[in-house]
Amino acid sequence: MFRRSPHACQTASQVQIRVDGIAVSVPDTLSVAAAVLQVHGWQGYRRHHDGSPRAPLCLMGSCHDCLITVDGQPNRQGCLVPVAEGMQVERQGGGRHD
Amino acid sequence: MIESRHADIAIIGAGPAGMAAAVRLAEAGVHPVLFDLNATPGGQIYRQLGNPQVGAGVMGEEYQHGRSLVEAFARADIDYRPLSRVWWIGRKGTGYDLGVVQHRAQSWHAERLILASGAMERGWPFPGWQLPGVMTAGAAQILLKQGALLPGVSPVLAGSGPLLYLLAWQYLQAGQPPALVLDLASASRYRALLRQPRRAWHGRNYLLKGVRMIAALRRAGVPVLLGVDGIQAEGREAVERVRYRHRGHWKTLPAALLLTHFGVVPEPQLARSLAIPHRWETGQQAFLPERSEVLAVEERLWVAGDGGGIGGAINAEREGRLAALEVLQSLAGKAQDGLARERAALQRARRRDLEARRLLETLFRLPGDWLEVQPEDTLVCRCESVSRGEVERAITQGAAGPNQLKAFTRCGMGPCQGRQCGESVARLLAHRTAQSMDAIGYYHIRPPVHSVTLGELAAQQET
Ligand SMILES: Cc1cc2nc3c(=O)[nH]c(=O)nc-3n(C[C@H](O)[C@H](O)[C@H](O)COP(=O)(O)OP(=O)(O)OC[C@H]3O[C@@H](n4cnc5c(N)ncnc54)[C@H](O)[C@@H]3O)c2cc1C
Ligand code: FES
Repeated sequence: MFRRSPHACQTASQVQIRVDGIAVSVPDTLSVAAAVLQVHGWQGYRRHHDGSPRAPLCLMGSCHDCLITVDGQPNRQGCLVPVAEGMQVERQGGGRHD
Repeated sequence: MIESRHADIAIIGAGPAGMAAAVRLAEAGVHPVLFDLNATPGGQIYRQLGNPQVGAGVMGEEYQHGRSLVEAFARADIDYRPLSRVWWIGRKGTGYDLGVVQHRAQSWHAERLILASGAMERGWPFPGWQLPGVMTAGAAQILLKQGALLPGVSPVLAGSGPLLYLLAWQYLQAGQPPALVLDLASASRYRALLRQPRRAWHGRNYLLKGVRMIAALRRAGVPVLLGVDGIQAEGREAVERVRYRHRGHWKTLPAALLLTHFGVVPEPQLARSLAIPHRWETGQQAFLPERSEVLAVEERLWVAGDGGGIGGAINAEREGRLAALEVLQSLAGKAQDGLARERAALQRARRRDLEARRLLETLFRLPGDWLEVQPEDTLVCRCESVSRGEVERAITQGAAGPNQLKAFTRCGMGPCQGRQCGESVARLLAHRTAQSMDAIGYYHIRPPVHSVTLGELAAQQET
């Protein structure tokens, strides 16, 4: 799990998104992948097509291990999509999505 | 048919190189279009600096240094397009066609192009690197910059390179010191350093900074182990243990988070998709696109910043400016007297800087035989779950180069398009067939270099 530092600057506004149906409030500067890491941590982020558990490695668009469903679209690179008010995020825990 | 939009100059990347190029062009009254993946400018080093989430005391001076550039970029008259993926480039006439997705698909034609797409962390296989709970140090630093996010558990840091120590130091300042730092650079590096006193002198600032960071960590009670030569992550659904080899003995440590860093290399996809010639640079241990002294790779194409070779943020900024001067000259169609001195000064500083970087390359050199000594079932290609053993067997069966190997094993065929495995595959082939890295080469990269959905393509934006 990642937590917001007590020394964080108070310059981010919060947005509400839903992760697997549950409403959470996160800083609006985060990517979807970062938000999920804050809310749930790395465990349970995604299951790969070979059945193995996976989670974001690089957070900068190169590894593609952050694939996640955003507003109904599967396999988005979660680290390249910023969070937005009302966004629906679903972790791809079930295996195949391609 | 959707018409394509026209730009005299396009820049890809809003890191220090791309920002500096755009600002310098705008100063001369020329207004480029600039595409960048991220929501805010800054690239890797200056990510989120326009609206920082953590104080200067935690991030350090280098981060703050970008402030004036980010501010100049915000003021300048630039057609800046954040959240834009350039997913293909093709040559067209004397210029370049670009496919861009910014919410929807757009096509562009640019007369001149500056590639400033930066670097990525090197893919470096070890057992368990695909487990949740293994992340790169760069990723952890992105969480810190983007949202002041710190790990809720004490992480183990392992690998080699300045970024590893920078993150350790930043976590220390933020009150979340790592449990342990494992330095995996070659054991022979200090000997190599002693043979290069001149280089050590040129790079003394880097040396000093590193020594200070390590001293601060040790003072705070963080063990920093040098000469570690093996690392493994173990666990079922996520990392539960980290194993490492130090002085010939394996040790096991309960840990939930392992942050690794094995240096940075140019982000290869765009340059590779244009089939720009590359060459293996032994100092940087990376394939670099071949550029002239003035950063040109073609008459109207320049590569600036870490995408052309790792020189760091200050050098990237200089190279951006240098590329802008070349573009101005190309627009004018002749040498510009007024720019000659500026160019000469930039080039002098660039040479000096790159000379100093050589020290870092020596200090953080990774062991050349790393891959061959990893267990057989270590994944090389994460996307298609192809192990070292499978790659080696395909080589034995006659896969002669990276592209054949891809066809034999699916290695490099997944969504990351070989970003994580390309270097490893070339290394294994070079080792097994006793050829040079240049003789082996790299995957053919075809667009899309970033994933695009059918929905995005269908929703072509009206121009
Ligand atoms: C994760 C990471 C963290 C780093 N942190 C530091 C640090 O703290 N300190 C330090 O000194 N150095 C750091 N570096 C090293 C870094 O490479 C340089 O310091 C500096 O950022 C290089 O500047 P640049 O302009 O060449 O490229 P970058 O800063 O990497 O900028 C390149 C930009 O191009 C964009 N881009 C790439 N491909 C495309 C595409 N197809 N379409 C659209 N946009 C694209 C990227 O998203 C990025 O914003 C880091 C490197 C990495 C990979
Ligand atoms: S985490 Fe690597 S691409 Fe998103």
